[in-house]
Amino acid sequence: MITLNSINKVYQTDRIETLALHNINLEIAAGEFVSVMGPSGCGKSTLLNLIGLLDKPTSGTLSLDGAPINGAGDGKLARLRNEKLGFVFQSFHLVPDLTVLDNVEIPLLYRRMPAGERRKRALAAIDRVGLSSRTHHFPTQLSGGQQQRVAIARAIVGQPRIVLADEPTGNLDSAMGEEVMAILEELNRQDGTTVVMVTHDERFAARTARTVRLFDGRRVA
Amino acid sequence: MRNHLKLALKVLARRKVFTAISLVGTALTLVVLVVAVAIADSAFAPHAPQSRLDRIVSVNRIMEKGTGVTEIMNPGHGFLETTLRGLPNTERVTLFSDLETAVIYDSGRRLEAALRRTDPEYWKVFDFTFLEGAPFTAADDDGNLSVVIISDTLRAQLFGDAPALGRSIDVGGQVYRVVGVVPRPSIAQVMPYSEMWAPLGPPSSDERTSTFGRLLGAVLARQPGDIPGIQREFATRVTRIPLTDPKQFQTLSSSLDTTFEAFARTATHNKAGTHAVAMVRAFLAGLALLFMALPALNLVTLNLSRILERSSEIGVRKAFGAPRRSLVSQFVLENVILTLIGGTISFILAWIALRAIESAELIPGAHFELSAGVFLYGMLIAAFFGVFSGLYPAWKMSRLDPVNALRGGVA
Repeated sequence: MITLNSINKVYQTDRIETLALHNINLEIAAGEFVSVMGPSGCGKSTLLNLIGLLDKPTSGTLSLDGAPINGAGDGKLARLRNEKLGFVFQSFHLVPDLTVLDNVEIPLLYRRMPAGERRKRALAAIDRVGLSSRTHHFPTQLSGGQQQRVAIARAIVGQPRIVLADEPTGNLDSAMGEEVMAILEELNRQDGTTVVMVTHDERFAARTARTVRLFDGRRVA
Repeated sequence: MRNHLKLALKVLARRKVFTAISLVGTALTLVVLVVAVAIADSAFAPHAPQSRLDRIVSVNRIMEKGTGVTEIMNPGHGFLETTLRGLPNTERVTLFSDLETAVIYDSGRRLEAALRRTDPEYWKVFDFTFLEGAPFTAADDDGNLSVVIISDTLRAQLFGDAPALGRSIDVGGQVYRVVGVVPRPSIAQVMPYSEMWAPLGPPSSDERTSTFGRLLGAVLARQPGDIPGIQREFATRVTRIPLTDPKQFQTLSSSLDTTFEAFARTATHNKAGTHAVAMVRAFLAGLALLFMALPALNLVTLNLSRILERSSEIGVRKAFGAPRRSLVSQFVLENVILTLIGGTISFILAWIALRAIESAELIPGAHFELSAGVFLYGMLIAAFFGVFSGLYPAWKMSRLDPVNALRGGVA
């Protein structure tokens, strides 16, 4: 489903060239739950951004469903992200001016869909993460765990086949982290959604089917 | 669209300081523009007593030029009779004097008032509403009778609340009988404006042939579309007018202008010829643009600073598949809504400012209207202002790299 071949990523500034990822080869099958681990600065988030089509590799090829992505324009990348991918971020990134419902609707705004259908799907996603009673609350009125659940609802509302989670439990206490992890596991188990999760927590990594380990931009396991 | 609209209103409500600064800047700019448009409207749009302004052309200057010498004066009786009478497709022709200051003696008081002398046709070209009495007649004019029509403001000064019809006024030692009272026109309505109107009277034998004088002439065309033909025929007739002093002057020129053409000709000191109207229009449009540019640039700067503040939202939207055009339209719409609210506020402020200008008599006799047309133009200007000041920041926002945007950076 996701294939990375000889991926390199170099960040270039006027004076410094930083090799963030070096010769990464990785294949993730449909329905897998993969965790990515490694020390800070080893390239975990860069890898996730490349898989999420938020960033482009310096060299190498990335394929999604067998189709190479290299050379795709901004419009096509936006469409692929909208249809195939869902994101969960460590710091939630909810829009503070919008209610829970409006936040969850965001991915559907960029699809041709009647407003009623959009609302129905958003409510279903919110229900799935157990926040039906908080539909019209604003993010600042919610706890960290609840905010991350809203972020998960937003990630799954468009029924993507891949969910990319960048340290989704990093800003949460253990109980809330557990809740979020349970939702991701359920998504993977019940819906067959492919989940790629960056984490620092060995306990959560141990619960995934496979762990990819990075060190200084190289894949070591 | 509905979501963009909802978000725009929420963003504006939440970011109160930004919204307030932007609204003040936008509203103040638009107040000045709306007041300027309302003043221009009172002068150049057809409002009583010049409701037929779209059919009226006038001549107010004759210019003779020689080597190193130029003479500009009002036309005289002879010139106007020769050039205006019998022009094709005209309904009426009126001759009237330029304004002069008359001194009124009233029970030991000395008052000064603007006086205009007119022929009887003047009252048929301009549609004054008579509060008392009626226009003077051809017989009054032929008989050079000492009758006068006064404005309601002069009536109040002279007679208080009492009727003025039939009362006498001592103007410079000559006693005039009041035969009518009309509302005072705005001073911006150049041809109808005065505080007293007396009969022009029959011309003297010298005046009958004079090229120069102290008069103005106006023509009421049958249709607005007849005006270009009338102007062409007038121009032909002017070429046949002999020079007053062929030794001193080589050319004589004059023009039959619409109100705006007359304004443009005066504003360019008669130096721009046929380009005067285009020049003045371009100048006024440039001035308005320049005037809008400063607050627009301020709004651009404020909007650019908001990129940093909203980079996370931009990153999220991009991550979930927002195309660039959608982000551009969202941010431009937010800005347009902001400026439209500013536009609405500016109308309230402009209404207050115009009432203040009226009551302070800064433009004597002026009555300003904020018509639906002025409102529509104002809102169009506001919308243009919104797009103009929102497009660049929106474009810049839409090009943010999603990874950097999510990190809160703008690179």
